[in-house]
Amino acid sequence: MVQLSRRVFSAGASLASILASLPAWAQAKDSVTIGWPSDVTGWDPNQRFTPDAQGIYKMVFDQPLDQSPDLKLIPNLIKSWQMAPDAMSLALEFRDDVRFHDGAKMTADDFKWTFFDRVKAGHKLDIGNSFRKLTGIEVVSPTKAVMQFNSPGPTTPVWLAFLGSFVVPKAYMEKVGVEGFVAKPIGTGPYKLVEYQMNGRIVLERNDDYWGPKPKLKRVVIEIIKDPSARVAAIQSGQVDITVGVPVREAERLGAIAGLKGELNPIQRVILLQVRNDQGFADQNIRLAAHHAIDKAALSRAFYGGAAVPLSLPATPGTPGDIADFKFAYDPALAVKLLAASGYSTQKPAKIGMATTNGQFPNDYDMARAIVAMWKKIGIDAELEVIEYAKYFELNRAGKLPESTLYSFDNATGDPEIYSGYLLNPKLPFSPWKDPVLGEKVIAQFNVADETKRIEGWREISKEAVTTGACMPLLQSVQTLVRKDGLGYTKYGNGWVMGQSMNWG
Amino acid sequence: MSAAFARRLLAVAPILAFVSLLLFAALRLLPIDPAAMSMPPTATKVEIEAARHAMGLDQPVTTQYVIWLGQTLRGDFGNSIHMRRPVAGLLQETLPATIELSVMAMLIAGVIGLGGGLGLFALRDRRGEAVAETLTTLMMSLPEFLWALLLIFVFGVLLSALPFTGRLDPGMTRPVVTQFLLLDTLLVGRVDVFFSALRHMVLPAFALGVAFAPPIMRVLRASLIDAYQEDYIRQARLRGVGEARILLGHALQNAVLPTLTLMGVQFGFLFGGSLLVEVIYSYPGMGNLMVDAVRNADLPIIQAVGLTYCVVVLAITALVDGLVMLLNPRLRGA
Repeated sequence: MVQLSRRVFSAGASLASILASLPAWAQAKDSVTIGWPSDVTGWDPNQRFTPDAQGIYKMVFDQPLDQSPDLKLIPNLIKSWQMAPDAMSLALEFRDDVRFHDGAKMTADDFKWTFFDRVKAGHKLDIGNSFRKLTGIEVVSPTKAVMQFNSPGPTTPVWLAFLGSFVVPKAYMEKVGVEGFVAKPIGTGPYKLVEYQMNGRIVLERNDDYWGPKPKLKRVVIEIIKDPSARVAAIQSGQVDITVGVPVREAERLGAIAGLKGELNPIQRVILLQVRNDQGFADQNIRLAAHHAIDKAALSRAFYGGAAVPLSLPATPGTPGDIADFKFAYDPALAVKLLAASGYSTQKPAKIGMATTNGQFPNDYDMARAIVAMWKKIGIDAELEVIEYAKYFELNRAGKLPESTLYSFDNATGDPEIYSGYLLNPKLPFSPWKDPVLGEKVIAQFNVADETKRIEGWREISKEAVTTGACMPLLQSVQTLVRKDGLGYTKYGNGWVMGQSMNWG
Repeated sequence: MSAAFARRLLAVAPILAFVSLLLFAALRLLPIDPAAMSMPPTATKVEIEAARHAMGLDQPVTTQYVIWLGQTLRGDFGNSIHMRRPVAGLLQETLPATIELSVMAMLIAGVIGLGGGLGLFALRDRRGEAVAETLTTLMMSLPEFLWALLLIFVFGVLLSALPFTGRLDPGMTRPVVTQFLLLDTLLVGRVDVFFSALRHMVLPAFALGVAFAPPIMRVLRASLIDAYQEDYIRQARLRGVGEARILLGHALQNAVLPTLTLMGVQFGFLFGGSLLVEVIYSYPGMGNLMVDAVRNADLPIIQAVGLTYCVVVLAITALVDGLVMLLNPRLRGA
């Protein structure tokens, strides 16, 4: 399937290059058609973590807290929040002017239902794992509630603006059941769902009673177009007004056509090599040599038009976990020296395995091949294998990942715990690094309540991980976006593309 | 004839049982843990073990098969691991779209194939025959995904003549009665929506069907050449019957039987070939569902879709067999 998809993609890319001189048709209207690469997994927004669907859910449902375009945590359904000094409880105050699409008022009871009662009732929800520390929610009044935890939960506000955290209506869900809700979902968001065809189309109509700023566009149609070549053709032929996830070269080419704009927007997604601490990577010299041998700037130029920022830490520039003056150098000479110290050279290469996805994110397979070539030059022979993204966790749980895996990690919040904490926690399935020395520090850091110490601690851990070769950050990922010239939208640092932020003219 | 037809239907049961066993065994051999796939990445080992127990995956494989088969026979295909929804509902939503697409593609293949076959026969032993042969080879050698991309380029982008995403124009709402969109639009009296749906189906159906036309042409041509060697053609000529009537009224009647059998076999391939075409055209059918299921290692969907493909292919084969029996008096007594 992967090989075939690759053939399709290559054929499409070649074909699309012929399209350079063709016109695109801009049009002013009260609606927008978005060409989106993936569908929602269903209309229970608490059920599954799907990063690409978060922007779609945010049109129909509201999150308790929100993020500004520059990713600062801002009030939303929650007007104000106060974390206890020991981070064992979080006091919340809600807006009192929010209504669901059926006219029912949103209260603290709906919040409690969403984040606590549903999990206790046995609904299979991914958010049950996000709020594992939650022991209860005390509803003080319709607009006030207190979340209580069994251990410090300093990142709870961040999670209230993250994956799966959308408030759903208690009364309506109890009345129609989960299946009824999924068939006809309602939220408090700026748009109402009026039509949905799985893997086909999502049609949204403006919620004229929305409590927040009214969307300018009355209707949003989301066409699910999974094939990148078809998305290129759809935007160029004018069948959609805006699309994302087209090949980088296509975004640049389409941007040069009159009536279209192409953008390469860095987002809060990091591309890195997840590594094991044993087998061919047991020796720190080999790990560091492998990292020093990667020319990240060249990868960015070759695969992302130079727009992807090379990373030295598993955090994107400007986020709390970043250390501006810390740089991990591209130094092939040092890499050769480190390998020589361990008895390896181009004549006697170190042998490792490398896994990559093919088509999970733009140019993943080609990037992996480029890294393998860079390693070969200094004396590391890597055998490349392709895995499906969905199998990463399972292979990792079973200890079957090779020494290095090219991996893309999405963290719309930018919080360092969700970067370093999740990527390096040996108890979670993201990290193949199982060494207890670093692992214990990571686990302990999850319980640091003081915000300053928390951020500082994650920075130190990230630095230690990179300098010991436990983590090899490569690039900040890029979202390619092409839109009609007259269509404006708000650019979010995490790649959300939402109808409520769009306007014509 | 009815006994022969019943015998063929009876043969379907062991085939289905064998396919179900094959599907189940093949998917269990894959290094995939459905329990782990059903949980969020942050799930602990204990939670995954609990899920494994709840899904019955800690039982012997034979027990698992018997349970699965029993549930399948009752129409319960389990829940999708990825979407956490009943698979039966997902099939109900997507199968009609794929059937509509495949039938339309087969119609296109049939019209081009039968017309082209008559054309090829007319060109036999003439200068144009080689050109026509080359053209049919070219049509056959392009895989359906390449046809799909070429058609998008020409009719979607270059000429802007036809839509190539989804099933309806953005401003239209889809009526739902039977889940068969073309039928539903007519049932609710929305001719405009019917034509919109039809326009959206032209390119994917053509991409899917066009590569199947050349074999039909060639078989029909060969069958016609054979038929023209028969005595009844000579006798018809002696009786002074016109060439057009000989071709359409006598030779074609016999030559079309092997062509029909071929089309029945082809329908199975065509149905399976819808996967990539559906993805490229954002067509919300079962192929699209299957591609996602494979990516997400969603075993319950893969099993159910695989079995559905098998049932549809067997049903079509039985139908074509029945049709051939009806048309061929010599088979009726068999």
